[in-house]
Amino acid sequence: MSLLDGWWDDFFFGLLTVLQVFCIALVIAVVCGLLGASAKLSNSRVLRGIAQAYTIVFRGAPELLVLLLFYFGMAITLTWFVQVFDPSVKFIDLPPFWAGSIAIGLIVGAYMTETFRGAFLGVDRGQVEAARALSLKRHQIFRYVRFPQMWRLALPNFGNHMLSIMKDTALVSIIGLEEILFVAKMANSIIHRPFLLYMTVALIYLAVTTVITSIVAWLELRANRHLRGAR
Amino acid sequence: MKFMIGLLSAAIVGLAGAMPAHAETLRVGMECTYAPFNYRTPEGEMAGYDVDVAKGIAERIGVDLEYVCQEWDGMLPALLASKFDLIVASMSITEERKQKIDFSIPYRVSLGRILGAKDAGLKLFDDAGKPNPEAFNGLRFGVERASTYAKWVEAKLPGAEIVLYDGAQPMLLDLQNGRIDIAITNPMKAYLDFLSKENGAGFEFVSPPIDEVEYFGPGVGVGLRKGNDELLAKIDKALEDMIKDGSLEKYSSKYFPFSIQPSGWKGVGE
Repeated sequence: MSLLDGWWDDFFFGLLTVLQVFCIALVIAVVCGLLGASAKLSNSRVLRGIAQAYTIVFRGAPELLVLLLFYFGMAITLTWFVQVFDPSVKFIDLPPFWAGSIAIGLIVGAYMTETFRGAFLGVDRGQVEAARALSLKRHQIFRYVRFPQMWRLALPNFGNHMLSIMKDTALVSIIGLEEILFVAKMANSIIHRPFLLYMTVALIYLAVTTVITSIVAWLELRANRHLRGAR
Repeated sequence: MKFMIGLLSAAIVGLAGAMPAHAETLRVGMECTYAPFNYRTPEGEMAGYDVDVAKGIAERIGVDLEYVCQEWDGMLPALLASKFDLIVASMSITEERKQKIDFSIPYRVSLGRILGAKDAGLKLFDDAGKPNPEAFNGLRFGVERASTYAKWVEAKLPGAEIVLYDGAQPMLLDLQNGRIDIAITNPMKAYLDFLSKENGAGFEFVSPPIDEVEYFGPGVGVGLRKGNDELLAKIDKALEDMIKDGSLEKYSSKYFPFSIQPSGWKGVGE
């Protein structure tokens, strides 16, 4: 591995970048997924329409395209938006880090919307009615009845989406974010060992996704612990 | 939903405050993966001929530099979207690109050469150095996307089967693997990265240098958004000074055993 001497720190910082993008995209995806699912299950036709449009667009368009549109298009849109409040501002940029994180978060959020919607539907209506009969408030029903049961049903798919987010982070190298794939490209332009370098990237990704898979397995075990005795 | 919009606007305004456009710092767009023209060393330093030229310009016009790494495909859109202020990325000055952006005077020569296997017995050019289009029929021809080479090949050699690549590295890898028969690229880079190395031992240039001005333009220049005439004049002046005092020649001798200036071009690997 002496060939990679001098590049390990770059790979390390690249990995940090990837993990940062992952965390931010995950938060955005969960928030969008929960909001989207709630909107789709609500009584308001407008909310349902908005959520429907959101999932159609972000599940239908290629991820690469969404990423490029965000990176190149958002700077112009943002400038326009901010100038409404402060006309003295000339130009606002959306850095690749934020463009990438937000784009990935919104894309995976669209998938999560469907996962959460399906899981909310999987919670027995009788449970909610029973909670109402106990005069629990709306947020209490969500917190203690609907969410924990929805969570158990959503987890297996949620794990899939986490892996999607992780692997999508490799896309952000094309908008110039210096993550591990980009480090491999830079190193390759000097040491010319493409196989070795891309294998290193693959192994790093595999290591991280293995950790994620284990965490999800543990979460599933935890979410189902009340059922263990019954089996 | 309202909450989300509120949250997003707050985040956007927050981001906006943090990132005003700078006046005294010029942001320079380059690939960062195009050694020896622009690349990053294992120590994290930007290096290469393009980087030296950019530094030379910055020093002479008294600004600070900030490097932005951008894939080749998106170089023009990124400049136009103000992701950076200058392109110093070995970009050839062409009529087509000049319709969208302005260029400085050239700071190095722009040309291409075709690479092929030594034992393939390729005879693609006649003795006068003109391509023989029939000889290219059915050959799988590696070309970098959105490059001057692509334009030339499409115009001159309709019989070749064009295979497009995002960069020189994957293209040369495929040439080595036999997935393509020939490839056209920058001869300086091909010589340093490939022909002079173990990987490229079985390959050679199978064409003379190709530099038709109609396709390749007068050379490689610094690109900037239209309407920055004052900055353009400063950059041109800085480049002229660097040509006169021998700085460009000095930079190129750091990387190449031959001159890459339009006046002193000697060819490579002859």
